[in-house]
Amino acid sequence: MRAYIIRRILQIIPVFLGILIILFMIIELSPGGPMGNYIDPKMRPEMKEALAEKFGLNDPPVTRFFKWIGATLQGDLGQSIKFLKPVTEVLRPMIGPSLALSSLSLLLAMLVGIPAGIVSATKQYTLADNSLTVFSLIGISMPSFFFALLLLKFFSVDLGLFPLFGLRNPLYNAPNIFAQMGHMLWHLALPTVVLGLGSTATFMRYTRSSMLEVIRSDYIRTARAKGLAEKVVIYRHAFRNAVIPIITLLGFWIPALLSGAVITESIFGLPGLGKISVEAVMYRDYPIILAINAMLAMLTLLSTIIADILYAAADPRIKYN
Amino acid sequence: MLKKAKRIVALSLTLLMLLVVLSGCQGGQGDKILLFGTTGIDGNFASIMASNVYDSYVATLIFDFLIDNDAEGMYYGDIASYELSNGNRTYTFTLKDGIKFSDGQPLTSADVAFTYKTIGHPDYNGPRAYAVAGLVGYADYNSGASSDFAGIKVIDEKTIAFTFEEASPANIETFLYGIMPEHYYGFNTWSEFLALNEKPMGSGKFILEEYRPMEFVRLAANTDYWDRSKRVKIGGILMSEVPEESLLDAFATGALHVAQPQSNQDNVNAYRDMDGVTPQIILGNGYTFLCFNTLQPTLNDARVRQALMYGVDRVAFIEAVYGDMATVGLAPISPASWAFPDSGINDYAFDMDKAAALFAEAGWVKGSDGILEKDGVKMSINWLVYTDVAWPGRLAEMAYDSWGQLGVDLKIELMDFNTVAARTMDAPMDEKMNFDLYTMGFSLSIDPDPTGALFDYDAYTEGGFNASGYYNARSQELITLGKQEFDQGRRTEIYHEWARLMNEELPTVIVAYRNEIWAVSDNVKGMNISTYQTWVQNIHEITID
Repeated sequence: MRAYIIRRILQIIPVFLGILIILFMIIELSPGGPMGNYIDPKMRPEMKEALAEKFGLNDPPVTRFFKWIGATLQGDLGQSIKFLKPVTEVLRPMIGPSLALSSLSLLLAMLVGIPAGIVSATKQYTLADNSLTVFSLIGISMPSFFFALLLLKFFSVDLGLFPLFGLRNPLYNAPNIFAQMGHMLWHLALPTVVLGLGSTATFMRYTRSSMLEVIRSDYIRTARAKGLAEKVVIYRHAFRNAVIPIITLLGFWIPALLSGAVITESIFGLPGLGKISVEAVMYRDYPIILAINAMLAMLTLLSTIIADILYAAADPRIKYN
Repeated sequence: MLKKAKRIVALSLTLLMLLVVLSGCQGGQGDKILLFGTTGIDGNFASIMASNVYDSYVATLIFDFLIDNDAEGMYYGDIASYELSNGNRTYTFTLKDGIKFSDGQPLTSADVAFTYKTIGHPDYNGPRAYAVAGLVGYADYNSGASSDFAGIKVIDEKTIAFTFEEASPANIETFLYGIMPEHYYGFNTWSEFLALNEKPMGSGKFILEEYRPMEFVRLAANTDYWDRSKRVKIGGILMSEVPEESLLDAFATGALHVAQPQSNQDNVNAYRDMDGVTPQIILGNGYTFLCFNTLQPTLNDARVRQALMYGVDRVAFIEAVYGDMATVGLAPISPASWAFPDSGINDYAFDMDKAAALFAEAGWVKGSDGILEKDGVKMSINWLVYTDVAWPGRLAEMAYDSWGQLGVDLKIELMDFNTVAARTMDAPMDEKMNFDLYTMGFSLSIDPDPTGALFDYDAYTEGGFNASGYYNARSQELITLGKQEFDQGRRTEIYHEWARLMNEELPTVIVAYRNEIWAVSDNVKGMNISTYQTWVQNIHEITID
């Protein structure tokens, strides 16, 4: 097992390098550049040129690529062109809110989606199953911006129960850290529901179909024939075998935890990686775009390894040599 | 009877006392926070680094300025008085008494010199280098050849002189940057300076309390502001980033006092209908434009460009996109400016017959496929449209229909703003012919000098702002005369003639002058915004109920 993990981690290196090359090329090939933002007739072309030189934009692409790779490997992600400070400082305050939002919504999706999927499978074609299926279809098809606006209209404007925007009210003086956390959770409640809706539905559908397949297997019939309680049959024998596709799903979700939720963050005015990614792309703030995408690529690679290891934990039949 | 009267008197007295007590509670403005909605703060708060409008508001609140302008756009000395000498090339500023930074240190002419030298510093990477580029000795100082900036001379603690290479009334706009304390911002390396970008300190009416990127900026009143007559009455300002979708609801729920919503009729109506909020509508200092690539064989004849303008119904376009929130563009000068000509300007009112006649006059006739043709060249043109905002697409769609009837084969290419800039103004010289039309919006400075802008042939370069390639000797001559003329009357005449010439020649068409909407809560008093004055300039007059 250990040898397998080490081998997998070593395999990441060439793949990651390949990704970085492609990433750099895509950004290089996209039209426009950071200097396109300097729209001021008083700024003479030679001044723009001097500024581009200071931002290191005048070197040929190959030189810039190697400079960037070299600096990145030493932990220096460069300077943001829009915010004029190190990329790490730009991104650091964005990671917390994005991570909080996506883990909360993932938690919500698992806590609601998986049990609902089990119920839906064990009570196939009953009223419960049908209504859950309808709910999941709505959840998958509902555009998140529309759902967000509906929630805002109802809960924030009409009922005044939740705040309209932001991660906190700067004028709120929290007596202690728990009150401050509660205050922020209150701000994150609606965004969590919006972001969690789609994934709840996805988790439910996966669990349902995977459970249905398992429930019909011979060993489940055997378990029932042994006289085991239905609960034990479903949750110990069936669910454990049905969980593998869900782990795959979870593996895909880990990078998404940090990629930020572009639409949700924008509508609720939350500072996060999704929102800053969009701003960076619109501004062509190359160092930020590169840093975020490189980070996501690395996370995706690592999470596939984690998912593979989890398979082995969930299913003793899977062994790595 | 008497008893009853007594009781009434007693009751009234009690009520009166209660009122006095209550009003006593709300008497002070010191705890009132102005809630301002923004859409993007970058954190470049050092006065010489601010590039987006919200960062500039923060800088204006935190720093003091040598000059300010009135509602008519006339400049006057603010924390200093000034006089011109040396053939109008030298501005000598004398600082007022008692100016001090919020840490208590006095503001001296050394701080003024430091501020402007920093803009000219070899490592400076902000967007304002042009502000000092016209000063004597800029090139030597900027290249590092000289450690002395010859054009900036500190005379004594309160007096400082700036000398320009060439005299121009537009030079005054050099002095629009807040004065930064040298003892705080002084640096050995540029990254030391940038590290203070998010922690501004100045001599202004406010002090930065807290900044959270992409969330908010919190400012507290500088209760020790040196000019007592201009101390602010409110206690502070909270500028929060509010998503466009929630702006209206934020006002409805009382979460905001002031914001600038997108300018369109729906928004005006919504804010007009809202209780407790009054929209202020002002003429924005800027315009949207449609640029013709005048070097293309299809577009090099002014009559063709005029025909195209007669052939698009701009009144209907403005009605559809802006409602009452814009007017038809006439000349490349804001109608709010003294330089704007009141007469002799053609508005190119929609007239398909005139358009067809002009095409015919210019020698363009419809071929067998219905497309206009001249000397084997087809009237086939492309229009670069960015989709970041809706208006360029709407205008292009309307033009597509009516120009189609005239026999123009229009191809609309959709892209983002940055790509349009890259393919037009920023395109290398050998790629300047890859477009025919593009649309964009510019904001203007107060001085009408158009040097370096859309119509200046010297700006037809890679990265220059004249992408039309248009050259006209008289236009160039007028631009030069205009920036050298100190007599206001003669200068006005020069710009009138120039505006009429551009309106006739149409190398670039001014599409519309847009209004700005400012949603202001009725609780806020004294908020006077105008074309040339932002809400931050009169902040000391504002109170909140």
